[in-house]
Amino acid sequence: MNDLMSQDATVEQTIVGRPDHTAEILLSVDNVTLNFGGVKALQDVSFDIRRGEIRAIIGPNGAGKSSMLNVINGFYHPSEGTITYKGEARSDMRPAVVARSGIARTFQNIALFSGMSTLDNIMTGRNTMMNRNFLWQVLHLGPAKEEELAHRARAEDVIDFLEIQAIRKVPVGRLPYGLQKRVELGRALAAEPELLLLDEPMAGMNTEEKEDMCRFILDVNDEFGTTIALIEHDMSVVMDISDRVVVLDYGVKIADGTPDEVRSNQNVIDAYLGVSHD
Amino acid sequence: MIYREGGQIKTSYAADQQLFPINQDRWFVYGFIIFLFVIPPLFATEYHYEVILYPILSLGLAALGLNILTGYCGLISLGTGGFMAIGAYSAFKITTAFPDLNIFIVFILAGLISALFGILIGLPSLRIKGFYLAVTTLAAHFFVEWAINRIDWLSNYSPSHTIGGPPRDMFGITVMGPEANPAAKYIIMLIVVVALGFVAKNLVRGRVGRSWMAIRDMDIAAELIGIKPLQTKLLAFAISSFYIGVSGALYVLMYLESVDPEAFEILTTSFPVLFMIIIGGLGSIMGAFMGAAFIVLIPVLLRNLFPALGIDIASHVIQHIEFMLFGGLIVFFLIVEPNGLARLWQIVKEKLRLWPFPH
Amino acid sequence: MDFLYNVSVDPILQIVEDPVFFIQVIAEGLMAGVMYSLVALGFCLIYKASGVFNFAQGIFIVFAVMCMITVFEYGVPIIPAVIIAFLAMVALSWAIERIVLRNMVNQEEIIMFMATIGLSFFLEGFGQTIFGGDSKLVPVEALHLGRDALIVPMFGSSIRLQELDLTAGVIAALLVGILALFFQKTPVGRALRAVADDHQAALSVGIPLQWMWVVVWSVAGLVALVAGIMWGASSSVDFSLVVIALKALPVLILGGFTSVPGVIVGGLIIGVGEKIAEIYWGDALGGSIEEWFAYVLALVFLMFRPQGLFGEKIIERV
Repeated sequence: MNDLMSQDATVEQTIVGRPDHTAEILLSVDNVTLNFGGVKALQDVSFDIRRGEIRAIIGPNGAGKSSMLNVINGFYHPSEGTITYKGEARSDMRPAVVARSGIARTFQNIALFSGMSTLDNIMTGRNTMMNRNFLWQVLHLGPAKEEELAHRARAEDVIDFLEIQAIRKVPVGRLPYGLQKRVELGRALAAEPELLLLDEPMAGMNTEEKEDMCRFILDVNDEFGTTIALIEHDMSVVMDISDRVVVLDYGVKIADGTPDEVRSNQNVIDAYLGVSHD
Repeated sequence: MIYREGGQIKTSYAADQQLFPINQDRWFVYGFIIFLFVIPPLFATEYHYEVILYPILSLGLAALGLNILTGYCGLISLGTGGFMAIGAYSAFKITTAFPDLNIFIVFILAGLISALFGILIGLPSLRIKGFYLAVTTLAAHFFVEWAINRIDWLSNYSPSHTIGGPPRDMFGITVMGPEANPAAKYIIMLIVVVALGFVAKNLVRGRVGRSWMAIRDMDIAAELIGIKPLQTKLLAFAISSFYIGVSGALYVLMYLESVDPEAFEILTTSFPVLFMIIIGGLGSIMGAFMGAAFIVLIPVLLRNLFPALGIDIASHVIQHIEFMLFGGLIVFFLIVEPNGLARLWQIVKEKLRLWPFPH
Repeated sequence: MDFLYNVSVDPILQIVEDPVFFIQVIAEGLMAGVMYSLVALGFCLIYKASGVFNFAQGIFIVFAVMCMITVFEYGVPIIPAVIIAFLAMVALSWAIERIVLRNMVNQEEIIMFMATIGLSFFLEGFGQTIFGGDSKLVPVEALHLGRDALIVPMFGSSIRLQELDLTAGVIAALLVGILALFFQKTPVGRALRAVADDHQAALSVGIPLQWMWVVVWSVAGLVALVAGIMWGASSSVDFSLVVIALKALPVLILGGFTSVPGVIVGGLIIGVGEKIAEIYWGDALGGSIEEWFAYVLALVFLMFRPQGLFGEKIIERV
């Protein structure tokens, strides 16, 4: 009897909220401080992201969440502290280099290439992997053509996964907001990243769209083992799909743990309800 | 009923990514190219060559080059005239120094020299954007204009700094210079234009074109997904300058045959070429040539129209009308159809798909 | 070696040997700079208030002054002629707003810039049709603009200043002062700055966009008229003056596109810089380096301070 019961407990544990303390640390943020002129966007923030987990970053508006992603991305360079990714510490790297090391992201205010079609946008996600040199490109023959077709096949896989076949030739500027968000996710996925940074992927969506997006995120994490760092405001989403949560407020980390731990943390409750700080 | 895609189902990505996926398009374009190679040499007069074909080919190539930089990569350049000059003077120096060198090679070398300068001018583009970059190109243009007026060596010490196309042969036919066979010149120019056009189309539909358009649409996002901005922009400058340089060589050595530095003045080169790509359609290969045809043909039409209607107008008045017409058309196109003639052509084709049904 | 000497040591020697001449050069540079500033001021105003870089400002200058001269030549006394010219510019602004600007709300800057290039060509053709292509002279006596030269004794020798240039300087200073106050202190000025920032947002808070644009472009038209009169007074006026528009770009880059005082400072720097470069370095480099010096100077500036001396720093956010 006892064996059976303990077995059940283990199964439950693996489905939801399963911080796996044995997984390696993929990315570690160490004492990162970010200053803009007089504004401290981030102050001495430290946390880690383990391989294979879904890590949520939450906090009230202006807490510095997007800035945190931008630092991980290499778009902002921290004034102090380092980011350690796959064992290598760095504080000063160009975004293009970061992208090529396996980190992809989406943006709060969609940053798609509005003049191009859905397919082309997703193909740009694969640009970093296309290496056939210029002369072959000129003739579009042989190696360049093969490369293009191979990547096209992978891009189509992403399109199938996200169920956006019908809009593949439509210029993205003409798509409704929800679909644009999906295409942006596709572009990030096309890069086959090890770490996927999602900046409010559900912003502005209705319930059905959110459910779809959640399903995609969970599928990506499940099928491809992609580690995900996710900024999100919708608490039910955060509680449901994330393994661990970091809470920021005014640039400072105020909590770090499983969704349940964080939800019952008094500091977090105060921050969201607006209790004044000293 | 004419323009139907029905039954043309693509069963492979390769088929979908062809240059002209729709059969009718392919036949039309290849047919048109064959027409261009065959008909004019048989029927065209010197007037047709000088007034219509040579300018459209050479300026169209320049427009194509500028479209790569401005239409596909979003980098505004007012320095087209300067690069045409670099191409022209380079070609002149090379062919006068090496008279036996095949003129195709001369053109390519001139283009390469132009491309090198293009890269130089493009270097600031990492930090400088938008019109500020346009000012950089202006600086380049004025500097080149000054140089061709001052550096005597460039024009082989001609007192008026004039350069031209010296007599050159190919396969026994005179293809350059005052005695040249007009049809032969035309074929040479056409070969260059068709080849470079084809190359441009290939570049634009692959990785290179996508990275240009990504930089144009949102350069920050492009960088964040791994596209290297400086390399992409420099490549755009290099290719664009190559094309514009070759067009300059064609413009001077084949079309005008003899020019002095005034021919490269900004108002007669940089701006008209910019107009060509606006009217023709930014970001369209075909649009560059449509725009060139438009801008070349309107003055011709005007000059022939009034006498034909029996109205006697002084030529300078016609020039004023031209200015007003061009200016007005630029504004019109930018308001109504910023994607230019190329987009209008696409709309016509879409309507043809449905014709004779309204929708 | 000769060249190196000519470029580095010789100019300094020349300056030191004849300091009064150097001051003359600087003075002439300042005067030229004031002219540039007057031209660039129109650009700055329109950019500041409607977010458009109006390439047609060059043709506005020619158009405005041609209009005045033509009306004057028909026998209208000078003051009404000036007023009529101004009214013509107002009418032009109204027409441009109705036909062009209204249909291009919220288009990208580049597109609007190209539209103004089109506009410039159109007005050039139109202007030449109406006013004829000949060059004309500004009626300086009627405008009470002195053309004398002032001799100012200095350090044993003397320098020579043109009264016309000094008048231009004073007028420019006045204009700048008034405009700076206007933008900073008045509600209309604030509204105009909002419009420059974001057309749609301005509309949504109830700013009457169309009317604002007519106001701004008319003011720019007035500035164009003044610039044209001053510029034309020292030489003549014809349609080739349009290329002057291009010179305004380096001035705006140095000063910062949206700063009225910046335009003055930028103009003066370019004016002085050009003159000094031409006189002392010109011969060594082959002469006429004025043709490109201003642009190269602007380029160098852009590399180190892209927003200009007084411009607003552009921060890009993702």
